[in-house]
Amino acid sequence: MKLPVEGWPEVSGQGRVGAVRRVVLLALRDLRLEVRDRAGLLSILAFFAVMLFIMALALGPEEEPLRRAAPGVLWVALAFGSTLLSTRAFALEVEEGTLDDLLLAPGGKEWIYFGKLLFQMLLLLPLAALALLMAAGLFYLPLERLFPLFLTLVLGVLGYASVATFYAGLLARLRGREVLLPLLLFSLVVPVVLASVRATTGLAEGLPVAEISDWWQLLLVFDVVYLTASALLFPVVMEG
Amino acid sequence: MLKVAQPDRPDALTWVFLGLGLLLLPVGLYLALSAPPDVNQGYLVRIMYLHVPGAWLGYLAFFVTFLYSLLYLFRRDPRHDRVASSSAEIGLVFMGLALVTGMLWARPTWGVYWTWEPRLTTTAILFAVYVGYFLLRGAIEDPELRRKAAAAVGILGFINVPISYMSVKWWRSLHQTQSIDLTTGKIHMDPAMLQALLFNLLVFTLLYLGFVRFRSLLAALEARKEEA
Repeated sequence: MKLPVEGWPEVSGQGRVGAVRRVVLLALRDLRLEVRDRAGLLSILAFFAVMLFIMALALGPEEEPLRRAAPGVLWVALAFGSTLLSTRAFALEVEEGTLDDLLLAPGGKEWIYFGKLLFQMLLLLPLAALALLMAAGLFYLPLERLFPLFLTLVLGVLGYASVATFYAGLLARLRGREVLLPLLLFSLVVPVVLASVRATTGLAEGLPVAEISDWWQLLLVFDVVYLTASALLFPVVMEG
Repeated sequence: MLKVAQPDRPDALTWVFLGLGLLLLPVGLYLALSAPPDVNQGYLVRIMYLHVPGAWLGYLAFFVTFLYSLLYLFRRDPRHDRVASSSAEIGLVFMGLALVTGMLWARPTWGVYWTWEPRLTTTAILFAVYVGYFLLRGAIEDPELRRKAAAAVGILGFINVPISYMSVKWWRSLHQTQSIDLTTGKIHMDPAMLQALLFNLLVFTLLYLGFVRFRSLLAALEARKEEA
């Protein structure tokens, strides 16, 4: 497979603009490969559907327990789905031997992390929105407050993806990465799970936004802390 | 913590820490068993003399791992990584001790072995992070990559502590069933109890220092054998 590299920006001239372009280019290239391949996307979508379906079978058929379980089930499904996706973010690079080429590009290495993160977000957000619709259908999750729900989705998914992308890069060259990644990831993202589930529950129960904003703030703090820490650590861990 | 480049056996300071710690351990035990029983908890309070130093040393050990992981990433000196991993190992032992004694104490006091109290949950998360730390170390064969990856986990895992604590605290407070305050009855402590507790803390700290130095030396010997 030939990876499209034309229009690769030079970093020497205008440093910051070049880095942003690189991030976008890398994300778009990965997105193009993923959409062309389709197998990965479809398997994650099928995973969401099967997981939600089985959980609905296990907890149903009465409406009340399903409605209560909906936020938890949705976020557990998203957590597992995002680990599936994040291993894919680097798996192709390692298979094709292009990870070293990326790392050889002059300048800092942070843009690789941000590019992969952007790619993950671009894929995960539509998938998460679809999962939300499925949860609404199978678990009677009310969708009246769509914008706050989507904000929770963005903040929560960013929290997952920031840590997952970092660990996926770290473990990219290891054989047992599919098993190790969830082990390392899930203990770290406990705050994200708790905050996202609570925010979603609050929105479903019709609590005022003021009560939910605490959880959004916690998610925001988590996102900022982990984005910063990962961006700082990523170059150190990947080089050499 | 390890000043000598290629030592063969533990230096004097390690022996001093280990020897003093082991010698004073029975004294601490005697103090703990002769301390007066608590008004509310009775003799059950004695588990505190193991539990509290265990938890404190666990957190201290993971903090040392965090510091030495940072140091390793900046300096790239394998010695820092050896101290970090040794400290994490000892930390897991102390933390495990704290968790087990805490559960033994909780069963007769609260009626359950486990409750989703913020401090308990945060400690359990931290414990899980460092179990992952050692699984990761075991999975990577390239020594340099192993050190870098472990350092990253050691740093991210410790940054997580305050955020986990806040999230679990709020999570609990929304579902107010019964709030259990771990600090009740421990702030106003009898001088004899405080003395025994502080003494045990000192003994555990000495043991920790000795263990970490000893374990770092073992790690150095292992690394030398791996290279040879």
